[in-house]
Amino acid sequence: MRKQAMEIVQQEKVGKDIYRLTLAGGLAAVPGQFVQVGVSSTADPLLKRPFSIHYCNGSRLVLLYQVTGRGTNLLAAKKEGEILEVTGPLGRGFPLPEEGRAVVVAGGMGAAPLYYLLHALKSAGRDVTFLYGARTAAALVLQEQYRSLVRHYAAATDDGSFGRQGPVTELLQEELSRRPGVVFACGPEPMLRGAAAIAAGFNSRCFVSLEARMACGVGACLGCVIPGADGRYRRVCADGPVFAAEEVFPA
Amino acid sequence: MTVDLSVKIGKLILKNPVMPASGCFGYGEEYARFFNLSRLGAIVVKGTTMRPRPGNKPPRIAETPAGILNAIGLQNPGAEEARLRIGQLAGYGIPVIVNVAGNSKEEYLQVIQTLEKEEAASAYEINVSCPNIKAGGLSFGTDPGVIYELVSLLRAATKKTLIVKLSPNVTDITPLARAAEDAGADALSLINTLVGTAIDIQKRRPLLGNVTGGLSGPAVKPVALHFVWQVSDAVKLPVIGMGGISSAEDAVEFLLAGASAVAIGTANFVNPLVCPEVIDGIAAYLQENNFNSVGEIIGLAKKGKAG
Ligand SMILES: Cc1cc2nc3c(=O)[nH]c(=O)nc-3n(C[C@H](O)[C@H](O)[C@H](O)COP(=O)(O)OP(=O)(O)OC[C@H]3O[C@@H](n4cnc5c(N)ncnc54)[C@H](O)[C@@H]3O)c2cc1C
Ligand SMILES: Cc1cc2nc3c(=O)[nH]c(=O)nc-3n(C[C@H](O)[C@H](O)[C@H](O)COP(=O)(O)O)c2cc1C
Ligand code: FES
Repeated sequence: MRKQAMEIVQQEKVGKDIYRLTLAGGLAAVPGQFVQVGVSSTADPLLKRPFSIHYCNGSRLVLLYQVTGRGTNLLAAKKEGEILEVTGPLGRGFPLPEEGRAVVVAGGMGAAPLYYLLHALKSAGRDVTFLYGARTAAALVLQEQYRSLVRHYAAATDDGSFGRQGPVTELLQEELSRRPGVVFACGPEPMLRGAAAIAAGFNSRCFVSLEARMACGVGACLGCVIPGADGRYRRVCADGPVFAAEEVFPA
Repeated sequence: MTVDLSVKIGKLILKNPVMPASGCFGYGEEYARFFNLSRLGAIVVKGTTMRPRPGNKPPRIAETPAGILNAIGLQNPGAEEARLRIGQLAGYGIPVIVNVAGNSKEEYLQVIQTLEKEEAASAYEINVSCPNIKAGGLSFGTDPGVIYELVSLLRAATKKTLIVKLSPNVTDITPLARAAEDAGADALSLINTLVGTAIDIQKRRPLLGNVTGGLSGPAVKPVALHFVWQVSDAVKLPVIGMGGISSAEDAVEFLLAGASAVAIGTANFVNPLVCPEVIDGIAAYLQENNFNSVGEIIGLAKKGKAG
């Protein structure tokens, strides 16, 4: 874990308000970990922004992000050759199962960290299903990129503009009834709660990646806590962002 | 030529005038992964109450122009557990300052009594911004009489260095600073956060779960600097200055305004290496300007005043 200055080698628009940012420089991270990125060289906005690691290796770090406010707007305006200050890798990632099948479920931008997870599962020779959900077809960015890494693939949209119409958790329900597996999920919280409940119904282990407003990102400020299933607070940045579903969602 | 960065705060000799601010550095372990903590002048740990506190309900952080509001609510593991974590810092060979909090005079006293036998706890920083339950939740830090009583009680309980951390949320800080001095404090630290709030206009509700929080970061620096100037004039005690320090230049401003040492809070969140960078930057400033020691610039801006 360290702070480093990284040069932008590519900033590509891959969807409406969605960008893929490639930075030069190595990072040794596990899937599900994140980085904090400086979006301004002045004191305003002050805080770094947390982004999941979309992909990384010894020479580059890739982020996939959506413009949602001031900080991400500033980030999207950065050009190739500019330098960003990056702290990481941070947090606890997904535990890779020793064996067996994996069902990876994404809701919208929640797909970002799952790409790196799919890579790791593929390298480990796992049989993987990827279920990709979003509001509408246009938000299902980089579908080919994900599909190429897995054996089984299905998509769902809320408006039915691509794949199954309905929540991606319906696909999960069907998938687990056909083929059991460990579930890995990232997306909006209601979707994660739904996925956790379905996995529990099949006695499948389920790991979810959560978000919270952060300041330090390293576990020191206690600013990013969420209540655990036992009522005690957990730091999303340091105890997570990946949690076993039963640790954070009451049964 | 090397410059002498050491400063004296009560019975403590700090090898340099830079420490992290309470609540912004946990018990050090997180930042130990970024740099060797033995570089610090001292380490200041999280506010400690007698019993564990769960803290406030989230969201606890809201970003504001050049600053943040926090409403952590003193989440801490309680004095017994804190004692263990403080013990683990002994190996760094730097003073450990324990920030002490409570809702009654007795609670502050109990925390100190619990930590008295822990050798690694070198000093106490008394956070008087906490609500005093007996006074209907009014903070200890707003009444000179209450500060005097509290600090006298704690002074009688310890020979370790006693630092009183003053709240900026008062009309006149000088009687409060003098009350702490008269009651036997060894040093003062300031400022704690300024009370504030922020509202989400889309959801039409406060951004913080607790509604109000404490403002910190660059936005508060001019306010903090003014308080440091004022208090270091009003008392003979050394002052630890803080509030918005993010660079060596900021730290030098506080030293010139009369602070004998500085603490860095929010800036750690933005730059985990800010403390060592500020230490190096102060040394460079002294060298470039032909000073031999940091002591030479403490309060120096007061001699010149304007001009
Ligand atoms: C562990 C983690 C991983 C993330 N990974 C990704 C990712 O891979 N791709 C992606 O597009 N987004 C990701 N996010 C969300 C991303 O951090 C926010 O969209 C971003 O901070 C918004 O900043 P802004 O200034 O544009 O928005 P504003 O709303 O203007 O931000 C105001 C403040 O709120 C914070 N904030 C706003 N939205 C969020 C949010 N959803 N989560 C946490 N803090 C927020 C900001 O950091 C900032 O401090 C992740 C969040 C977390 C916690
Ligand atoms: C997240 C957070 C937690 C804090 N917790 C404490 C605390 O437990 N006790 C205390 O005396 N001050 C606490 N403070 C106040 C800081 O120690 C410091 O006085 C203040 O933030 C101003 O300095 P800064 O602008 O450098 O952050 C906290 C500040 C922040 C931002
Ligand atoms: S953001 Fe500081 S503890 Fe998580």
